[in-house]
Amino acid sequence: MPINISNAKNRDAVVALEGLMPKRDVRYLDPEGRAVATRKLLKSDVTRDLDQLMKKRKKLESVSKALVKDDPEIDIEHFGMFLADTSRVYVSQRGIVHVVEEFEVLKNPDGTVREKRPRRKEPQNINTDFPLRWTGKYIKKDEAVKRFVFNSKKQLVHVNGLTFDFLYEMAKDLDKRNSLLLVRAGEKGERPIVMNRGGKSYNAFLEGRVKGDAYCLILHLSNMELKKPKELTNASDN
Amino acid sequence: MAKPLVLSLDGQEFPVNLVKIDREKLYGAVEIEAVDEKGKPAVIKVLAPDGKTLIDKGGTALATVTEDGTSIDRTQLSAVDSNGEPVEPVPSSFSGPNILAQAKTEEYLSQIVKSVYALEPADGQALDYLRDHLSTGQMYSFPFSYRGGLEFDSAFVVGAGKDAFMVVGKQASLQYVRLNQAAVLDAAEEKEISADELDFELL
Repeated sequence: MPINISNAKNRDAVVALEGLMPKRDVRYLDPEGRAVATRKLLKSDVTRDLDQLMKKRKKLESVSKALVKDDPEIDIEHFGMFLADTSRVYVSQRGIVHVVEEFEVLKNPDGTVREKRPRRKEPQNINTDFPLRWTGKYIKKDEAVKRFVFNSKKQLVHVNGLTFDFLYEMAKDLDKRNSLLLVRAGEKGERPIVMNRGGKSYNAFLEGRVKGDAYCLILHLSNMELKKPKELTNASDN
Repeated sequence: MAKPLVLSLDGQEFPVNLVKIDREKLYGAVEIEAVDEKGKPAVIKVLAPDGKTLIDKGGTALATVTEDGTSIDRTQLSAVDSNGEPVEPVPSSFSGPNILAQAKTEEYLSQIVKSVYALEPADGQALDYLRDHLSTGQMYSFPFSYRGGLEFDSAFVVGAGKDAFMVVGKQASLQYVRLNQAAVLDAAEEKEISADELDFELL
């Protein structure tokens, strides 16, 4: 995934942003010692779910009798087939619909509705004409880990010799400071990061590490502080 | 009452209850509602590749298959590590004391977070000794498994203000990159920031 980012001198470049996976040391083998894989399969569809069975039989007792007698919940021809390339669609009483109006219902932590508004789908802002901004706002690593939960991480990687120097210098600077840098997006460089259209917004922090002639630049994404919910804080105080 | 997790620091044991914390509990949630052109409610379903089979929540399952695509029961499988050696199951961390070891900030920053818990004292025992150490900026870690299984996650015990938290995750496969490891693509004013300047209610 490309990312357009600027450095401390306000020079920008498009480099690669790569996902980080957890280290996995365990894998499974079948009795012949061959590797196995996990596949998604069809278990049931909407024509055979409980709602549909109830429409025909009205009472749960009748449904249970039918389940024992005829297996109406199973389509022997299709259930169990492997699924790949599925898509998500909106369905109303009229079947699949292609035009919908979406609303966001904002709820408070106690479940009460705060606001209902038309859905805003923010476009991604990591690879636009406006590079991610080197805000110059640093936070010591020791302080950051006590304040934020870093829900997700990505790694920045160079795409040629010029961008190697560009990113290496960034990493070296941040490593020396022992700090994370707040990174912002948008024309004015004041917006949180949105990785995909309609995706979640994140506060993004850049961490740099160097080891000899190699570097590691990590983009930490956070949408949560490290703190207790109010209800828990109140309970502790009492 | 759930069994407490026992943490051990400098020979002292602290039974704690874990209270899971997520974004919804802190800031609330956003739910999406949709209506069709006639104003009738519309919900998202999964459409199978045949273009007609609609699947609701719970309508799919995961199956383990061999190289030739035959389904195989998990009880027939054996777990091995990266060297092909059999893996010994690990016990649940609730089955005994968990010794806390000092951890470095960079180790914590290298992990991919799975869950966050607030640590609450259990059995009426105070956490003062632990909190005092955390308040000096110390951070601790230990191998953690909620129910037991094949491998441990890493748990970090971190202090924030007066509170203690446990952040559970797995180490990320970070890579130090050199000049010849390029990826292929499909001047600001310096100042220290206060964490309070940041808005986390990004709804």
